[in-house]
Amino acid sequence: MEHELQSLETEAREELSQLNGNSQLEEFRIRFLGRKGRFSTIMRQLGTVSSEDRPRLGQLANSVKKKVEKLFEEKSASLKRDSGTLDQDNISPDLTLPGRCPVKGKLHPVTQVMNEACQIFEKLGFSVAEGPDVETDHYNFEALNIPAHHPARDMHDTFYVSDSILLRTHTSPMQARIMEAQSPPLRVIAPGKVYRCDSDITHTAMFHQVEGFLVDKDISFADLKGILTVFTCEMFEQELPLRFRPSFFPFTEPSAEVDIACVMCNGVGCRICKNTGWLEILGSGMIDPEVFKMVGYDPEVYSGFAFGLGIERIAMLKYGIDDIRLFYENDQRFLSQF
Amino acid sequence: MKFTLNWLQDYVDTTSLSPDQLADRLTMLGLEVDSVTPLYQELSPLKTGLVISSEKHPNADKLNLCHVDVGKETVQIVCGAPNVREGLSVVVALPGTILPGNFKIKKSKVRGIESFGMICSERELGLSDEHTGIMELAEGTEQGQTFIKATGLDDVLIEIDLTPNRPDCTSLIGVAREICGIISKPLQIPVVTDVIKQTSTNFSVTVESDELCPRYAGKLIKNIQIGPSPWWLRRLLISVGLRPINNIVDITNFVMLEFGQPLHAFDFDTLADGKIVVRTPRSNETTFTTLDNIKRTIDSNMLLICDGEKPIAVAGIMGGLDSEVTNATTNIFLESACFNAVSIRKTAKRINISTDASYRFERGVDPDITIKALNRAVDLICEIAGGEVPEDGIDVYGGQKDPSPLTLRVSRTNNHLGIDLDSEDMAALLESIGIDCKNKDTDTLLVTPPSFRIDIEREADLVEEIARLYGYDNIPVTLPKVNLSFPVQESNRKRRGDLSINLTSINYTEAINYSFVSEKYSDFLSLSPNDQRRHNVALLNPISEDQAILRTMLLPGLLENVKRNISFQKTAVKMFEIGKVFTPVDINRQPIEKTRLTAVLSGNRYGESSSLYYKNDSVDIFDAKGSVEFIIDNLGLTFGSNTETIQFKQPEKGTCEPYAEPAYSLVLCNNDKILGTLGKIKADILRNFGIKYAVYYYDLDFDTLCDLKISDNNFTPLPVYPSVKRDIALIVPLSVSSGELLNVVQSSRDKLIESSEIFDIFQGDKIPKGFKSVALSITYRSQTKTLKEKNVGKSHSKIVHLLTEKFKGSFRDA
Repeated sequence: MEHELQSLETEAREELSQLNGNSQLEEFRIRFLGRKGRFSTIMRQLGTVSSEDRPRLGQLANSVKKKVEKLFEEKSASLKRDSGTLDQDNISPDLTLPGRCPVKGKLHPVTQVMNEACQIFEKLGFSVAEGPDVETDHYNFEALNIPAHHPARDMHDTFYVSDSILLRTHTSPMQARIMEAQSPPLRVIAPGKVYRCDSDITHTAMFHQVEGFLVDKDISFADLKGILTVFTCEMFEQELPLRFRPSFFPFTEPSAEVDIACVMCNGVGCRICKNTGWLEILGSGMIDPEVFKMVGYDPEVYSGFAFGLGIERIAMLKYGIDDIRLFYENDQRFLSQF
Repeated sequence: MKFTLNWLQDYVDTTSLSPDQLADRLTMLGLEVDSVTPLYQELSPLKTGLVISSEKHPNADKLNLCHVDVGKETVQIVCGAPNVREGLSVVVALPGTILPGNFKIKKSKVRGIESFGMICSERELGLSDEHTGIMELAEGTEQGQTFIKATGLDDVLIEIDLTPNRPDCTSLIGVAREICGIISKPLQIPVVTDVIKQTSTNFSVTVESDELCPRYAGKLIKNIQIGPSPWWLRRLLISVGLRPINNIVDITNFVMLEFGQPLHAFDFDTLADGKIVVRTPRSNETTFTTLDNIKRTIDSNMLLICDGEKPIAVAGIMGGLDSEVTNATTNIFLESACFNAVSIRKTAKRINISTDASYRFERGVDPDITIKALNRAVDLICEIAGGEVPEDGIDVYGGQKDPSPLTLRVSRTNNHLGIDLDSEDMAALLESIGIDCKNKDTDTLLVTPPSFRIDIEREADLVEEIARLYGYDNIPVTLPKVNLSFPVQESNRKRRGDLSINLTSINYTEAINYSFVSEKYSDFLSLSPNDQRRHNVALLNPISEDQAILRTMLLPGLLENVKRNISFQKTAVKMFEIGKVFTPVDINRQPIEKTRLTAVLSGNRYGESSSLYYKNDSVDIFDAKGSVEFIIDNLGLTFGSNTETIQFKQPEKGTCEPYAEPAYSLVLCNNDKILGTLGKIKADILRNFGIKYAVYYYDLDFDTLCDLKISDNNFTPLPVYPSVKRDIALIVPLSVSSGELLNVVQSSRDKLIESSEIFDIFQGDKIPKGFKSVALSITYRSQTKTLKEKNVGKSHSKIVHLLTEKFKGSFRDA
């Protein structure tokens, strides 16, 4: 019996080293370690040996069995390692198949760009405020130094709800609302929807703006250039040439429109930039003393700047979108691209 | 404002700058150049020619056989124009030339005679509608030259997008003045007298309101000859896009473009009593026919120009049909005036016309150019139309204002702009564009705004001029020196942002729809007549019926999105929108704006996931319900089973959303307050939107959800002892809901029960009719010991008993 146990060990070792594949392994297990396998057969003989030999042979049988079991485990593990799976048929998986990747939806590109813009200003210490879409004539125009019958009203194709109530044409009313409610120093941005009755390839009747303003003592036009330069470089992730160009808004003076070097042609001149090499991205300026007076700030003490940027415009430039109306069709083929 | 480069040279010499350089300088002065367009390039192949001989075509009465010297050669051309004659300088298109309208000139035979090209009319050249004969070039025009060079058409059109604060630049002289400032060249203005000796026996002028009409001047010109303008004048007008009409009208337009002063010529002989009265309408004057032959309604605030009896023009906007200058006119009354900008603007809006005149008046016209422009036009008329001026005319200047000097503080200007200039630098900048300065002291300039800069009224306006003239490019770039602060950000905005991102992680795509929609959607969704959501805010001036009212729900927009996506084969749709809806309060107050979160689900649950791994299953009501559960969890809220907490309820009879299937509808409540609804949209509702697939939705009151108290998030110690799971399969009547079963388990108050869930439901086969099998799994755990079979068994059999008793069911061996 002792001999039998030893040859069993040798045989098992040899067979294990040669076999490959899970089915052979299972066959081995049944033949050696199974209930009716060779070990069980030997163990059953243990009852027939003399009582003095029994402990020694018992121990030997156990240690051989443990050895074989260990060898079996090792072989089994190595087979698993080789195939990389628990595949019973031992066929290697087709790794050219796609991964089981869960799909994800997308935020609207306007939201993405809006979030990005807000985050840049939040890093600069601006707080974020939101206001009503439906505004009074007072906040949308009068408080911003645009009296009734001012030609500047032509720059705003306004939707009216009644004589005095309208859909805000810009996010600038938030300047007046916040300045009225709070005291300087102020550093605020106000994102939101705005409305103008205008609709073509570059205009939709609704679009998004982010208004921003900073009011403190000794704020200069040079500071305005600084903040907007930081913003633009962050937004377009590169050191883009910038151009501040004189313009006119009744609520800022001096006023400036900001152009970036055309991102389509790198400033060489193309259809998108009308061959100027520049693209307008925002309007800005030093807050007009009249606006300060209307909210009770002393323009001799405080100064500040304000700016407003069009989110769709920035998104169009950033992604090369050529038709603004795509933003509001909510076509998944469009939305899934961003 | 449009002008051409050649024309500009009459006032300032810009030859040192290329057109693009000039455009760039103008833009950086705040006169944004919209376009720089070389003109008539398509006419560059055309040549000038001299008709050497012209005789009748042997085979056609109306045709002429001409020989035309085109420089290098003489060509034979058959021409049908009545005005072709020997010695005439003409425009010749030789074979191969392509004329506007893609008309290619070829060698041809006309009635048996060869013709080598064409002599062109103005219409054929695309210059005007003139086609009664060929274009006659000035006598002595050398033959063989490039036509556009020889006639001055070879020009560059520059278009400026003017901001409303710069009415002075609605004229060539105004633009030239700005350029003089940057290139240090003198401004050349046509020499004209700017006084009128107040004499007139032929007519009188009465201005009833100095406020509405600060200045009114006029002259009588007799014995004029109406006819076409000379080429130089027509060319200038054509090149900036104005249609030449006749010499008088063309001259008034020319002077308007030159000085920025709109002028109007009346046929003097139509004026009753030789009187001009500037006034508002009499009560019986309610309509007036303008020269475009449209009958306009006039109201009491409109300023009119009247004769002794009746209105003859809407002041500053458009003349009347009856007093229009016609070909028969011989005597004209020429008006040059300054009107109140606001009044003109109101009137132009009211009668809905915008003319070149109203454009200028509503921005403000310099009262000091009234006479200069008038005299300039009179000189030109006498020269071109041969008129005579019997007497000097009348100038009524009741609204004269003395300009008061402004103070400009040098150091404050420097601080405000972040620059460092001294008073001399600043004075030099202002004087370069004709603004006079006096040094009051080293830190103060005394500045008198010139009459043509009506926009300069305050120190701030001067600071702007300094910035502009110094150059925005030259102002340094700095960051503001401000105190550090840590602003508190609005919490709802953050939650909205976080939730949106989380929804995309479970495959929802965000939609943004217009805030205005069509009113028809209320009917599409079968809202009852008294549904609050039919009560909406309407726009007074919508772009179209489809965008006529502010939305009261987000669902219609999203359903339109589903429709669109399905029609482009994207049938798996999971979309949400977080946006505002509007509830009217009263007409003169702002509506209430509430933020809602609405989503729609349709098609394959797994969207575009590989069908290799993900079954092609369609979404159902539990996807919608699960999403709402996800949202509640993401907002830090929890569901509960008592009425104080958030829970789903089935809508009570008759309260279900009219567009949702009652059997597939749930209401999300908190403390009897409705937080939202979810369900399956009825097929007939979907048909209204053109959708044939099943669509589920949920619609939540986002503001209210955000106002709910967030559940405390305290640590629970991890269990020490193992749990025991027991399953039970109950056969209960179909009417028993699984929620009730779980409620019974949860409310049994057995301390050992940790949780319970349903894991299988089925009917049929071995289950009796009218019954179903519901399999529950109950987890038991003790906080103090490892549970033994007898502990669990006791609790479990109690629960089984409770359930079978309560629901008249039996239990199956699981």
